[in-house]
Amino acid sequence: MEFQARNLADAIEARLTGRLEFTAHDRLRDIVALLDAPNLRRFVVDVSGLDFIDSAGLGMILILQEEAEQKNIKLVVRGPRDDVKRSIDLAKIGEIVSIEY
Amino acid sequence: MAISLDDSRVLIVDDNEFNRKSLSMLLLRSGISNLEFAVDGVDGLAKVDMFRPDLILLDVDMPNMDGLEMCQRLRASALHSDLPILFQTALDSDEEQVACFKAGGNDFISKPIKPGECVARVRHQLERRKLFNDLTAFRERVEKELRHAHAMQMSLLPEPRKVAAIGLAHGLDISSHFETSSELGGDLWSVFELDEHRVGILIVDFAGHGITAAINTFRLHTLFERIPAKDLDPAEWLGALNASLKDVLPTGQFATAFYCILDKRTDVLTFSGAGAPNPILCEGDTLTLLDSAGMLLGISRRAKYHTQQVTLPPGGFLVLYSDALIECRDALGVPFGQDAVMETVRAIVDDRPADPVQALLQPFLSRIARPFRDDLTLIWVGRR
Repeated sequence: MEFQARNLADAIEARLTGRLEFTAHDRLRDIVALLDAPNLRRFVVDVSGLDFIDSAGLGMILILQEEAEQKNIKLVVRGPRDDVKRSIDLAKIGEIVSIEY
Repeated sequence: MAISLDDSRVLIVDDNEFNRKSLSMLLLRSGISNLEFAVDGVDGLAKVDMFRPDLILLDVDMPNMDGLEMCQRLRASALHSDLPILFQTALDSDEEQVACFKAGGNDFISKPIKPGECVARVRHQLERRKLFNDLTAFRERVEKELRHAHAMQMSLLPEPRKVAAIGLAHGLDISSHFETSSELGGDLWSVFELDEHRVGILIVDFAGHGITAAINTFRLHTLFERIPAKDLDPAEWLGALNASLKDVLPTGQFATAFYCILDKRTDVLTFSGAGAPNPILCEGDTLTLLDSAGMLLGISRRAKYHTQQVTLPPGGFLVLYSDALIECRDALGVPFGQDAVMETVRAIVDDRPADPVQALLQPFLSRIARPFRDDLTLIWVGRR
């Protein structure tokens, strides 16, 4: 998994590409670190560039959600498609995390 | 890193008593006090067997048997093939030095001995050996423990005898395949009798694999006893397991699951999913993917699970599997895929092989090489 972060007017957006699976754990720390930006209220994880997510990847989204919640930041997962959308729906991640399709 | 060489044993082989003494003084002063001596190659070989040194300081020119021959003989024995041997030689021509290495020496020290260099080379060889031995011992211990843990994990699965007894009592053909991707895995399945008419079947896959995931399968297994499934419908039981798992699992650890109850009086299969791959149901010639969507176990106390029903009459079957079956990728990086699983099951409906689990596994194994990237579980439940 690779990611690029950019500042939006009211949020930080991290665009993930590739496969979100167990091997991406090291990169997760870098994404979590983005939540430390001052006065951040909204954090968008754009997953439209992801081709695949496995259960470890779903776990990472949940870890991000918990980290964001603790810092009072609204986490949004945006644009899951194909296999990624299927996996997120199958596990009902939407009941815990805001998903924008 | 300072490594203590207190317990390191050094054998000094030299025909000259003065050399033996001066070398021993040097080593004693540097804290290496377990020393033994030999006066030639023949004596040296005998002392190696008695003293079991960690290193030999070996003279080249000696009566009876010289150092080169003694070294060659040690290297010929599997027991001493890695024993560090340091030649000490006055012959410092290139040719002579090459002869020391050819005979199997690890290094050499030129005479006259320079104390600092000698101690440094001895320490270097001893430390390397010690680190290597420590690592080997650690590896052996971990391998042994993992073997035991693997056996314990296998004991969590339903015993074949119990499975056969349930099959006999309820008119079911139940077969399975369980394979962890390393010594330990995060998959678990179970089958149990709820009463004389009903059988419960559960498949669970904890996120990740390896030791953490395996410990979670043990956690879950203890819940089977604490939270009896007997009086609960599938959604209620998953809900109860979820609540207990949520208490013990850290964020990021969770499980997918599918649980169903088959009632042979009514032919009804009652089920509830928690994000497991869609089970395949066959009724007559019709294959259906069951809805297994549901919040992963162990994530949220607020999770709600839903019970659904289908019919599974005699002659039909149900296939449960972990996501490894669809997600494991072949050499080209292409996953085996849900479609291939369906095709395979379709072929089984047509051919009715004696061993459906093997028939399901075969096309998978012909495309996906071991070791698998994730734990693989397959369960086949056929109604007679």
